[in-house]
Amino acid sequence: MTADFRLFLNALKDVLSSRRIFVALFLMVLPAIIGLIWKSAAGARFEALESYNTLAAGLVFGFILTILSVIYGTGVLSQELEGRTIVYLLTRPIPRWRILLAKYLGAWLAITVTVSISEVLLALAMFGTKLSGVPLMSDIKIIPLGAAAYGALFLLLATLLSKPLSYGLLFAFGWESWVPSLPGGFSRWSIMAYLRTLAPHLQETAEATTETGGGGGGDISDLLMAFNPVSIPTITAWFAIPIITLVCLGLSLYFFSIREYSPKEEAS
Amino acid sequence: MNLDNTIHFEHVSRWYGQVIGLNDVSFTIPKGLTALLGPNGAGKSTMLKLVTGQIKPTTGGIAVLGEQPFANPRVARNLGYCPEIDNFYEDMTGRQFVELMATLSGYKGKDRTKRVQNSIDRVGMSDRCDRKLGGYSKGMRQRIKVAQAIVHDPKVLVLDEPLNGLDPLGRRDMVNLYQQFAEEGMCVLISSHILYEVEQITDRILVMYKGRLLAQGGIRDIRKQIDSHPHRISLTTDNPRKLAGALLLDDTVISARMPQDNHRVVEVETAQPDKFYSNLADIILDGGFEVDVFQAPDNNLEAVFRYLVSA
Repeated sequence: MTADFRLFLNALKDVLSSRRIFVALFLMVLPAIIGLIWKSAAGARFEALESYNTLAAGLVFGFILTILSVIYGTGVLSQELEGRTIVYLLTRPIPRWRILLAKYLGAWLAITVTVSISEVLLALAMFGTKLSGVPLMSDIKIIPLGAAAYGALFLLLATLLSKPLSYGLLFAFGWESWVPSLPGGFSRWSIMAYLRTLAPHLQETAEATTETGGGGGGDISDLLMAFNPVSIPTITAWFAIPIITLVCLGLSLYFFSIREYSPKEEAS
Repeated sequence: MNLDNTIHFEHVSRWYGQVIGLNDVSFTIPKGLTALLGPNGAGKSTMLKLVTGQIKPTTGGIAVLGEQPFANPRVARNLGYCPEIDNFYEDMTGRQFVELMATLSGYKGKDRTKRVQNSIDRVGMSDRCDRKLGGYSKGMRQRIKVAQAIVHDPKVLVLDEPLNGLDPLGRRDMVNLYQQFAEEGMCVLISSHILYEVEQITDRILVMYKGRLLAQGGIRDIRKQIDSHPHRISLTTDNPRKLAGALLLDDTVISARMPQDNHRVVEVETAQPDKFYSNLADIILDGGFEVDVFQAPDNNLEAVFRYLVSA
């Protein structure tokens, strides 16, 4: 077993630690549970596809993917720093960038698997086993891309900032909630906007919400969305997400190789 | 910089924001066992982190085996580090932890298994290495930290307060082990804030205080650096008054006194200890004195440290 593979496995093991596994399991089943509640509450008026799209867009992509990316992406580094075990890694004859890359890949796999399971459970809850015509596969295809881009971005925050979790949460639930809806091309600065471009049914859900809510029931983001028709070409999104991933990951590996990472108590 | 020397610091300073951790420090550490001595907050850990390439100097240059150590895998290949921190991957066993460190050092298969077992054997943890680290005593944790530091046969071994938490027997075993490493040709650098501990390990020391290197060399060499301070020697004899008189006739002796609490002791002060020692035998033989106990308390590290700090 090589050093890189061992680090990758260790990163996976960290993610599956007893404390975190419960959070992951909860997030896996959360959309399905909410979906089932919705289904039973709506009764005969229940629209399976619309409900699925809404929950996939708002909960799976808008919440679970981003929160897991924040926790696991920043945790790649901050867990070692807080546990002060980073000392053992940084004094071994292995280039620092390889340490971080192996751990990032472990975190990416964990995010991808957790979010994918969550999406599959949601689909099963909404449609049962009759999944033909359900946009599940298109969602499953873009989850790894989203996990890679968000994971790399939050990893970059962890290599640069002392409190990456706070800034990560601010970005995930502040910036990513609002910026895709802002007029004037701001959506190009949001990973979520590119993901929605790749899975159009997620965007249609947002637009449908705007249309139905336009009579007075919509909030400010709905209003903003009405002035901001999505115009990111699909091909742009296919290029943009890998580029964001590579740039953020490359910068993370670079900064990790040149910056000092001493456990907090000792550095102060 | 001299590539032959193992660890070389040249005018190294290290700042943490407005606080200075290390202040214009220069020294060279050859092979063998060297102790880094100083009270808590003296800058020992900063120095060891610089040696092990965890942090960079603000100014000055560092060479470990001829190369700058920061984030340098070539240096890390030949450097073992036992940190002072007591943190581990607690759910691993001792063996798994050492195995992980061996894997990260590039070892695989049977070679790795052999190395892991060998280093565990050397620190005396063979019978306890398959227990979880979370259940280890402080002493066992210290031993496992040393095992991971030597698993890749480093040329330089850096140990930060490695005797903390060990019982007297364990302390003796580990001191013997460190001395053995040095005899095998390793450069062993041990930090400690306990003077008597260092004194038992080696006579080659670096003394640090408030980020500065106060002195370096053998304890006796360091004593020479502070010869402006009188050197004290204590003699226990059957006729202290007569011996004191005889000693006062020697021109190397500054003073001779008999303490109130012990009427068999003569305490002598001299500014020329080497010359005094060569004269002392003649004084004792000529006067026919019976000297039961001879002590030179100023030769111990406590005294050296006290002098250096007060200077």
